[in-house]
Amino acid sequence: MSLWVDKYRPTSLSKLDFHKDQANMFKNLVQGGDFPHLMVYGPSGAGKKTRIMCLLRELYGAGVEKLRIEHQSITAPSKKKIEINTIASNYHLEVNPSDAGNSDRVVVQELIKTVAQSQQIQTSTQREFKVVLLTEVDRLTKDAQHALRRTMEKYMATCRLILCCNSTSKVIAPIRSRCLAVRVPLPSVEEVCSVLTSVCRKEGLILPGELAKQIAEKSGRNLRKALLMCEACRVQQYPFSVDQEIPETDWEVYLRETANAIVSLQSPQRLFEVRARLYELLTHCIPPEIIIKGLVSELLSNCDGHLKADVAQMAAYYEHRLQLGNKAIYHLEAFVAKFMAIYKKFMEDGLEGMVF
Amino acid sequence: IDVHIPQKTSGELAVHKKKTEEVENWLKSHVGHKHLKEGGSILLMTGPSGCGKTATIQVLAKEQGIQVQEWINPTTSSHYGTEDFKQAFDPKSSFNSFYGSSQSAVFQEFLLRANKYSCLQMVGDDTDAGKKVILVEDLPNQFYRQPSLLHDILRRFVRTGRCPLIFIISDSLSGDGNARLLFPKDIQDELNICNISFNPVAPTSLLKVLSRIVSQEASRSGGKIRVPDKACLELLCSGSSGDIRSAINSLQFSSLADSTLEGSLWPLKKGKSSTLANRGGSKGRSKGKSSKLPGKQDAEQAVGGKDASLFLFRALGKILHCKREPHVEPEVPGLPAHLTEHQRDALLVDPEMVVEKSHMSGELFNLYLQQNYVEFFTEIEDMARASEYLSDADFLSAEWSSQSTMREYGSSVATRGMIHSNRSRAFASSQTGVGFKPLHKPHWLLISKKYRENCQAAQALFVSFCLTPVSLQTELLPYLAQLTNPMRNQAQIAFIQDVGKLPLKKYPGRLRLEALTDKDPGTLDLDSEEEEPTAASSSACEPPDDGPALSPGWSDLMGSQPEPITAQDPLEKEEELVIEDSCG
Repeated sequence: MSLWVDKYRPTSLSKLDFHKDQANMFKNLVQGGDFPHLMVYGPSGAGKKTRIMCLLRELYGAGVEKLRIEHQSITAPSKKKIEINTIASNYHLEVNPSDAGNSDRVVVQELIKTVAQSQQIQTSTQREFKVVLLTEVDRLTKDAQHALRRTMEKYMATCRLILCCNSTSKVIAPIRSRCLAVRVPLPSVEEVCSVLTSVCRKEGLILPGELAKQIAEKSGRNLRKALLMCEACRVQQYPFSVDQEIPETDWEVYLRETANAIVSLQSPQRLFEVRARLYELLTHCIPPEIIIKGLVSELLSNCDGHLKADVAQMAAYYEHRLQLGNKAIYHLEAFVAKFMAIYKKFMEDGLEGMVF
Repeated sequence: IDVHIPQKTSGELAVHKKKTEEVENWLKSHVGHKHLKEGGSILLMTGPSGCGKTATIQVLAKEQGIQVQEWINPTTSSHYGTEDFKQAFDPKSSFNSFYGSSQSAVFQEFLLRANKYSCLQMVGDDTDAGKKVILVEDLPNQFYRQPSLLHDILRRFVRTGRCPLIFIISDSLSGDGNARLLFPKDIQDELNICNISFNPVAPTSLLKVLSRIVSQEASRSGGKIRVPDKACLELLCSGSSGDIRSAINSLQFSSLADSTLEGSLWPLKKGKSSTLANRGGSKGRSKGKSSKLPGKQDAEQAVGGKDASLFLFRALGKILHCKREPHVEPEVPGLPAHLTEHQRDALLVDPEMVVEKSHMSGELFNLYLQQNYVEFFTEIEDMARASEYLSDADFLSAEWSSQSTMREYGSSVATRGMIHSNRSRAFASSQTGVGFKPLHKPHWLLISKKYRENCQAAQALFVSFCLTPVSLQTELLPYLAQLTNPMRNQAQIAFIQDVGKLPLKKYPGRLRLEALTDKDPGTLDLDSEEEEPTAASSSACEPPDDGPALSPGWSDLMGSQPEPITAQDPLEKEEELVIEDSCG
């Protein structure tokens, strides 16, 4: 029994549930014969990857679904060994080069080179190019992106790239201009609902429309999250009831409690406790950027309108710091302390205003 | 002058009486009753350099008529050209045949031979003449890399050996890692190694020794050398921080140089000091003394000797309990009205010096600060400012390429910012003692390591889901934890249970506050962050005393502790409670 997310993932372009126009355009693109480099971008959980896999299937037939996980090791010019996981079929290779950290440049170059140098066996029946799918391109270093730009041109004859990322803003312009950029927007609430109901129907369950809507809203239209939530609901209680509580992830709950702790009392001792909680979140693999983002949204909902601008500005400042700096905890803590200070001042001013 | 120092009687030793007795007893018991006991015994002497470990052994051995056989690291390379010539004079020519083999092999051979040799002598001679110990001062480098090798040799030695073996190991300032590495606790127990650790020579006894030497010298040379007055001697004593060897060296230097001691206390350029030393050397020869001028002097920056290094505990204390000068009449006009909140009294400590003396990189020092500063602040506004400075500091030193230069600025920003932003101690008069607070080791290294490990494990275990790390960690794993999914293997299940679930209790159980003892050197370098944070591992072998962290070296620090240490019982009790809570 696999997850619903994987079980009911559409496998061909015609079966996609939403953005059908786009799917048709992809189909035409494939039939047109000349296939450009692609850059697929859009928020997480919008179905980028699903779409790409459908596209590949359209290109090569069912053979792309025979996936194998390979563990490759690449030796950098500096004799450093880099280990990376790739997922490959006979026709394509998927890799997340940012896994390699700072040596992603080598990974990009070497992998594409090896793929491009091996010719397809039956050029008569198959396409004459292979596809390299790079995920999280926006997390590549600038170095790697420049290397990618050169490699893209060099191996155009035998290899096409599909780049997958959340936002194009971190991708350098030369790469953007070399690719056909396709944005995959999030599904609307109605679309998420319809997907959820159809999945539930296939599972033989009845999902009330209300609940589906709640799930869709709570998941922020992130389809993957919505499906996971729905499955968690199913575990929690079946038959579904309309006012059933939708399970959240533990870390979200934990983060909210942390935010409440910050708002309820501002003292050095409390800051110390908050620090312990932040550490706890970090050990549970929640990246610091997500932590600060979550904290901000929780804090914003808790504080007065006058403060919101300040808080958001601070958050932006410290998140920037977070990216530039080394040790996340300094910046997280500085943000929390700053918020506490502002909030406390605001509350005291408010009290004085009430007295006079 | 260095030569005539080795004392003739144990009474002249500057080492504490008790310690000498301890060593003496050990020698007596192990050398005397050697026949009865089968197997060799091992004594390990540790202590900072120049506290008289070797001298103690030499003197005691002489007193009891014990022959000391010393191990000196063979310098392999120098024995090729003049080998034949040297062989005739080399006291250890019997070992020359082993120079080709590795040092460790030679060392082993030395031990076993010295052993056998004494055996033979004992059989032939009377017992008294055969009294003998083996003294090992510097170990072949090989053993630092592979301590197990040494352990094997020692085990064999203990089994077969007849005469006692003495190891002398100096603690370096950066930590007594050597002794710990070479002689871990279990080995010490297993081999019955007796460990005697020396403290730095106390200033008073050091002063006694120095003045004795001075008077002896003065009488001998007949006014040829300038006799330093008492103040100078005291200065020397404090400068050498318990290192008797360097104290005597600098005494010699200061009495030879024509300038007064205060004048020569300026940091000397290397070249200058060596010419001075040469001059001193020729003078010394003219007096008929041996020209043994210690080359060590060159390395010393000032005649005063070692810089007094701070233990981490005290360094942190200096920053956190910042001391300020009492306010004097303002000669300069005060700050304008809108800046009055930034008015501070002058500092008594120099933060940069403190960081430098703590022998740590700035980043690591900042981590320690960050871990501990919370308890010294009362206002959240101050905290906000302080944490902002810490964040600035991290940002300054983040860039890899410029790290070496920016590091100092970073630590400077952090320490000064920390001091400045603590408004409750802005003025000397407003300093109410917060009392003693236990300091703790930073958690960050442990946490970031754990974070990295967990992320890697997550990716390795769930690679088949083809997800990006972020969505894997924030979406899939937590929900997997809520689903009852039978398909997973054992490792995955365990991982999900560990990472996907958060304890929604009040106190997280994972963090244990590790008390920082005052003698704790900052052992780990920050550059080794990718590797195992050694602080965590090295502290693991210490007894985790949760309460007041000062138990071991407390008594001898009492006098010099600048912090207000009036009884703060309620505070401490509260502290203990919190710690226990988070432990449980």
